[in-house]
Amino acid sequence: MSHSVNTTFISDKTSKIRWKTDPFNDSNVFITGSWDDENNNLKLWEFQENKDDTDTYPFILKSCAFQGDVTELQFVDLDSFVVSSSYGSVYLMRITSNEKELIDIEACINWNKIHNFSENEVAPCTSLSCYKNDIVTCGEDGRINLLTSQHQNIVYSNNNADSCCINCVTFLKFNEVLTGNNRGLLKIWDFRQNQSSLCNSFILGQDQIAVTCVAVHPSQQHILVTGDEEGSITVWDLRKNTFPVNLLTVHTESISEIMFHPDHPDHLFSCSTAGEIWHWLSSSPATNTHTKLLNLQETDHNPWYISDNVKNKLEVFNLMPKLHFPINSLDLSRDRVLCGCDNEAIYLISNVNIN
Amino acid sequence: MESTVRTFAIPNELCRRAGIAATWHSINNLGIFPSQSVNPSIPDRPSPYGPSEASVFNVRQDILLFEPILRKLVNESNGIFLNLQILTSGNVANLKQELLKVSHQYRSVIRACLENLQDEVARVDEHTSENMKNYITIFYSIECIWHLCEILFIENIPGSIVLPHLLEWVRFHFPKYERQATIYLNSDIDNIELDPDYWKTVIGCLLQGRVEVVRALLTLHSSANSPVFKLFDQTLKSMPIYNVYSGTSVTEFNLRWKHWLVDTQSKIDAKSFVSESHLNLMMKLAVGEELAWNQVQAQCEAWYELLASWLFFTEPTVKTFELGQFARRCIGRMGVRDHLRHLDQILLAALEADIFQVIKEIQHMSENGWFVSHLTDLLFHAGVLDTLDGTNEDLVAGRLRESFLIDYGVLMSSHHSLWQLGLSYLDHCPSDGLHVIQLLLQKLPLGTEVRVQKIVREALKRDLHPVAQSVCKVQGINCLRRGKMGNALSWALKSQDGYFTSYLADRFLRKYTTEGKLLCPDLLENLGSAMLSCDRLTFLSKYFEFHKVYALKDFKEAANIIISLMSSKLTPKYFWITLLTDALPLLESDEIVFSSNDTFMLLHCLEEKSKLPELQDKISLIRIAAARNLARALTTEAQAA
Repeated sequence: MSHSVNTTFISDKTSKIRWKTDPFNDSNVFITGSWDDENNNLKLWEFQENKDDTDTYPFILKSCAFQGDVTELQFVDLDSFVVSSSYGSVYLMRITSNEKELIDIEACINWNKIHNFSENEVAPCTSLSCYKNDIVTCGEDGRINLLTSQHQNIVYSNNNADSCCINCVTFLKFNEVLTGNNRGLLKIWDFRQNQSSLCNSFILGQDQIAVTCVAVHPSQQHILVTGDEEGSITVWDLRKNTFPVNLLTVHTESISEIMFHPDHPDHLFSCSTAGEIWHWLSSSPATNTHTKLLNLQETDHNPWYISDNVKNKLEVFNLMPKLHFPINSLDLSRDRVLCGCDNEAIYLISNVNIN
Repeated sequence: MESTVRTFAIPNELCRRAGIAATWHSINNLGIFPSQSVNPSIPDRPSPYGPSEASVFNVRQDILLFEPILRKLVNESNGIFLNLQILTSGNVANLKQELLKVSHQYRSVIRACLENLQDEVARVDEHTSENMKNYITIFYSIECIWHLCEILFIENIPGSIVLPHLLEWVRFHFPKYERQATIYLNSDIDNIELDPDYWKTVIGCLLQGRVEVVRALLTLHSSANSPVFKLFDQTLKSMPIYNVYSGTSVTEFNLRWKHWLVDTQSKIDAKSFVSESHLNLMMKLAVGEELAWNQVQAQCEAWYELLASWLFFTEPTVKTFELGQFARRCIGRMGVRDHLRHLDQILLAALEADIFQVIKEIQHMSENGWFVSHLTDLLFHAGVLDTLDGTNEDLVAGRLRESFLIDYGVLMSSHHSLWQLGLSYLDHCPSDGLHVIQLLLQKLPLGTEVRVQKIVREALKRDLHPVAQSVCKVQGINCLRRGKMGNALSWALKSQDGYFTSYLADRFLRKYTTEGKLLCPDLLENLGSAMLSCDRLTFLSKYFEFHKVYALKDFKEAANIIISLMSSKLTPKYFWITLLTDALPLLESDEIVFSSNDTFMLLHCLEEKSKLPELQDKISLIRIAAARNLARALTTEAQAA
């Protein structure tokens, strides 16, 4: 069964696109955030699936104005999401529906201007990551903030986490976060210690190429992949993190987002500013079964560690013909992939081969 | 051209009194401010206007294509445009066929846009809906012209028998009768002929050449089984309709058609249809009787609707190049010669195969050049514009296309969000595109790092390294202004500007001399090969390494670094004192870390710099320490030897 692609032009350059997950059914609601326009917005979309008709047309459930570019958007639970802006603010928002079935997006907590260069000048918040109730944000001011979705106060803030612009951040464990900056420097921070200390830092390569995105393996949290400005994907084992375990030079331009499939970690998806969206499938014979993957004793067989001799076991699929503009964001839900592009279109790819 | 100058008032008192001046602020933005003209011959005297509050007004053209609803069209057509450029740059076997497909895609985008607009009209308030209606008129005309141009210039019509396509075009744009006919055919009404629109619909369908529909409609008539209806049906059924693929030649068809005409005329003359006036009229139309046509032509909304019908019954094998004269004749018939609308003029020019005129006219359609640039590009690739070459020296097809694309591309680039799309048009302008891009990229407002990265990447993709570097430098300066030294340095390194990098490295060192703290250790530690990009940075990086080694208590290595720094001749004048002071504890350390040679080197430097005023109170201290170290070192070295 081959996958199908549906295109919708939405009159906005999409910066982030995320499924609103549905624990029981296939999700058909998603949210997009725009960037680079004079008036940006968040849009909540829904589409009706039609068995006979392969064409699905998403329609807008709710659109709301957003100040600045949307820089990151992540759901913390089924209805709430955290969104960050290029005006240095972070918002916790909730999708609500009242008795009349009117859908609305309301802001629950505003963390205003928590990223700034000075009193008077805000700094873009570049990325954020969620772990249960905890939210960590990073920005161009080189600061990291730890927030919680429970209250307004900033739990912890480090003004000098990095002297350059931090491009991406992710939780590794409940107490550890990893940041990547525009000089290719990755740092791991531990929040348990009082003065949340830098545990470790290591560099992507000798060429000081910016790290643009990062993803942690859903079941083996010491496995990390990073995407960089030059289009390479680097696989790290954080137990021996001084050098990468695997380096895949694939995309021709900067990788904008990279994501493991949450239910099938053998599948990795990446998109790039060259307009490519790829589906990586590691199918080394030794690890055909998922049970093995989850077994920590067997990690040496983890497909993402493969060395050169088995590299050809990695299969790459092109999910779409190359677009003319950067693809900025992608998201996965079961066998469906969403991606948003600078040509003001969003693409819904259904029936992606996940098994 | 009629006067198209429009006046806008600037609502400002000072502007009114002093007069205004303007300057371009960005691509589509004009800054207007009060200004008084001054020339060197006017003697200096206090301004009569001061003191007063001066305002600057930002004025920009309202671009219709930037409406969200039309941006779908802009973006979707951009995809088609780019695919077309890829298509024509390769060797495609069946280019004509592919171009026709592209043309269809463009039209379907326009139609989708029209549909969206129609939905929108129903939804929005009155003022906006008025705008939407205007857009509908504009894009409706565009679609109409595009379709005709597609038939006349792009479609490859065997034998130039253009009529079937013209009929299709007319049906497409005047679907009223067909829609009504569908309603009738799907309904179940008795005495349908009593419906006031019934005969109008039947005749309308006949005029559009839908013979089958006419016959079906007539069977609904309550007296459909009467002999006169049967005769009519038979006659209509036997009417020959030209079909390229039927295998009959044009001459053979004409012969059969003439025969049918004579036959039908004789039936009319025998008054076979007089009992049903409508049928009689339709038969007269079918044989092209002038009087009958005069009677129905009012039913045609436009002269080109009449043109297709008229040709269907009188000149079914009309060739493409003959259309002009018939078009003029139809305009004459309809009596609209003196009040041709803009759309009519363009269609007439197209029918007369005057492409140049068509392009000239569609430039003036008020949709900001979307239409003219895309259509011209398509026609250019179809090779239709080649006829222009040679006829007029100033007008070369390629240049014409390029000038439209540049205008459109620049316009798009003026939008905060559509600049990437604008660039993609300029990419396909072979002679001036790159130069325009070069200028545009530097004018784009910067913003977040992500945006800057994208701008830099667009520059690098086109090998515009100086542009990329200048953008990086501007971003570096921005970071510096914000006090983000680390980020500033990283952008400076990207910009490969040695002076700027030196300047920043200098700032780091000076900061150290005043505050005793090295900024951005994380960055300095991982400079890599970038540390070699300028002398000052090399020095800074080496000095940082000294600190690192010193902190690790590797005094031997620290001493080595200090000596190599001193002998490197890279040390800035103001930094000597720091460097020499740093050497002091090493000279006094328990373990001997400076060899005698090292100490000589140090003393040599010290003497060289002894004139430095800030060194004066330290100099004796360093001399003593150096002397002591030298003594120790010499002794040890002698023992070792």
